[in-house]
Formats: sequence, structure tokens, C-alpha cells
Amino acid sequence: MLKAAVSIAAKDLKLVLARGTGLIQALLLGLLLIFVFSLSQQIGEKMSAQAAAAIFWLASVFCQVLVFNTLFSLEEQNGARFGLLLSPAPVQSVWIGKGIGGFVLLLCAQAVFLPATIVFLGQSVSELWHIGLAMVVAIDLGLVLLGALLGALSQGQAAKESLLSIILFPLLIPILLAGVRIGSAAFSGIIPEGFGDWLGIVCAFDALFGAAGLLLFGYIYSGEE
Amino acid sequence: MLLKLDKVAKFYGNRLIIKDVSCTIEPGTVTILAGPNGAGKSTLLKIMAGLSEPTAGEVELTVENDSIGYVGHQTFIYPDLSALENLSFWSSLHGQKNDEETLLAALDRVELKRFAFERAGCFSRGMAQRLNLARVFLLQPSLILLDEPGTGLDVRSMAILHNEIAAAKERGAGLVWISHSVAADLVRADKVLAIRDKKVEYFGEAQGYTPEAVC
Repeated sequence: MLKAAVSIAAKDLKLVLARGTGLIQALLLGLLLIFVFSLSQQIGEKMSAQAAAAIFWLASVFCQVLVFNTLFSLEEQNGARFGLLLSPAPVQSVWIGKGIGGFVLLLCAQAVFLPATIVFLGQSVSELWHIGLAMVVAIDLGLVLLGALLGALSQGQAAKESLLSIILFPLLIPILLAGVRIGSAAFSGIIPEGFGDWLGIVCAFDALFGAAGLLLFGYIYSGEE
Repeated sequence: MLLKLDKVAKFYGNRLIIKDVSCTIEPGTVTILAGPNGAGKSTLLKIMAGLSEPTAGEVELTVENDSIGYVGHQTFIYPDLSALENLSFWSSLHGQKNDEETLLAALDRVELKRFAFERAGCFSRGMAQRLNLARVFLLQPSLILLDEPGTGLDVRSMAILHNEIAAAKERGAGLVWISHSVAADLVRADKVLAIRDKKVEYFGEAQGYTPEAVC
């Protein structure tokens, strides 16, 4: 299963990075969001660390929606979805493959968003940067586990694509709130109250999204049209 | 027996597509699936492939999932990958470790070797279909389901297709073939499954079938 997932992820990354369209759109949208929020500040004014972290995660989530729409639309262009479904690997390998591909692309995008947040929103990197970085990875895991599941709902059909963002955002709220709280610590250097609880919430929702993906993906991603 | 359909029916919403379809597909045989446009041939082929669930009836497959080759209306090709990369991806997904030489040989059989490193998106419809056929025949499945595989192919490419079908039959694969020229392809078939008015009109030896009855 993992071998098939890695093959799918490698193929997706090759296609997205070669064509660039989906990733560039996602990057531009995220950067535009950060830049527009930076205009709300007076000259020399510094945005609060919590607000900056919130904008960073907002940019990441919008980016994630575009990334997964792109990844799943790759299979619709010439009906490759049917080929994936006919492969001997379990259908969950598509979910894992898309998740790995989305994870790498999201990290690439965040590698651009993070310096943009620091520069445009007047933040600095505190000595707690390593905690922030670990949390980015943990929260990204939840984002891609759910994104890969719900991205299958879009399957390239315009009528269904709006479903992705409508369903995605409410489900992501708990881990995004954790991201904002812990992200602010990475910018300000002050560990927030209840840090351990937020960490627990992220791990619990990662596990929940992972279990939901394994159980539900087979029902969502099928050969029926 | 590779595949058995027992009283299969399919509805899309309230619309009946096919009903009471029963047939068996044996190894080393070519079965032509005949019927007028909209008879439900493609739907039936998807049910045989396991891509679509029948609303009623049973599908019994004795082959593993990796042993089904399916050529649908679409080519399964990633336009931004080269022909070789496309084949490499599909063979690795099916757990086959084919080296470049084997993949190039597969492309050579459909006369695409000199385009191996070109983007598949630049291919004509006929070339894309030949690449699609190379994908299926490279995997050497036990059950091959072909939905109008001759679409977009010129006379020379049709000869390649006929050779590949004969080779697959020779090695013991069972083939189900929706042909857009049933009368011409009947000589290559062992059996015919003809559908009319949503149900089986004829299932039996190809020799006893008169194409004019359906098409």
C-alpha cells in the first residue's frame, strides 16, 4: 500500500512542479492574503503575534484547498481515476499518496508564507522557533489527512468543488486554533497558557482525521459517475 | 471461468440501463459486446471491471484486481508526463518492476518508441490511444475489457490492436471487446454478447450471430 502511495505522490509532485499552475496559484493567494493584512497596519506598527499566526494559518488553509483541488483534478483529465481504482493497491493508497503529495506542497508553500509573515507583519523569530516548527508539521498532518479525504469529493467536477471548502473549514477549526495559539509563542517567545492541552487537541484531531480517512475514503473515491 | 454475471441490473437514478444480464467469460476467448448506442454496453463493461456496482444481480470475479486491464473512453494518460513516464507509473502502481528496456519494448510494439521521451499531451488521439493500449498489454492482465479501443486509430494502428488482442488471447487472457464495427471484428471473436432493449438478446458462439439483428 505504501509503495503505491509513494508512486502516486511522486507522480503528483512531478506533475504539479512541472506544470506549476496549482502551486503558483496557491502561493499567490496566500501571499496576497498576508500582504493585504499587512496594509491594515500603520507605518512602524507591529501586529500582535497571535494575529500574525492567525493570518499565517489562514493563508495555509486556503493554499491547502487549492493544492488538493489540483491534486485530485490530475486524475480527472483523462479518466486516470479508473486506472487508480483498478490497481491492486487498496484505494486508501490513493488517499495516502495524495496526502504525502499535499504535505510536501503545503510545506513548500509555508516556506514562502513564513518569511512573508515575518517581513510583512513585522514579526521576529523567538527562541521557541523549534516548537513552532514542530507544531507546523503536526498541524499540517491534520490538514492534509482531512484535505486528502475531502479533496476526493471534488473529483474535478465544478459542482462539487465548492463542497471542499464548505466542509473543510468548520472541521479544521480546532487544530487551526491550536496553530494560532502555539504559533504566537513561536513569534513572541511566550508559552501560552494550556500549551499541553492545545498540543493534545492537535494530536487527537490528527488521529481522528487519519481514522476517518482510512474508513471513509473508499466510499468517497469510486468509479461511479 | 474468469468472470460470471448473474442477472445483473443497473439503474442510474430511476432510469433502467440494463437488466437480467447473465454471461460468463472464459480464459483464452474473445467476446464481442454488441448493441446499439445507449444500450448500456459501457455500463456493463464498468460493472465487469468492478468500477460500478450493479443495482441487482451478482458479479463473480475469479481473477485478482491487478489482473484486469481496462480500456475505457478515456486514455488514463497524464499529459504532462512523457510516454515512458506514463508507462513506468502504471507498471509501478501494479507492482511490476519493469526496466526502461521493457517499457521501451512495449512502446515499440505500438510504434511509439521514438516518442518515448515526448510529453503525452502532444500526442494525437490515435497516438494517445496506442499508448493506452501499450499500458494495458504491458501489464499482461488475465481479463481485458476493451471499450471501443479502435477509436481514433488508423488502419495501421488497428492492425497493431488486432495483433495485441490475438497475442493476449494466445497467452490465455479473456477479452471482452465493445467494437464499433461488429461485422468486421466478428471473425476475431469466439462469442458474442448482444444487448437490445436493456437486456441480453444473444449470448453464444460468434458463428451463430448475425450482426444486422442488433446494429
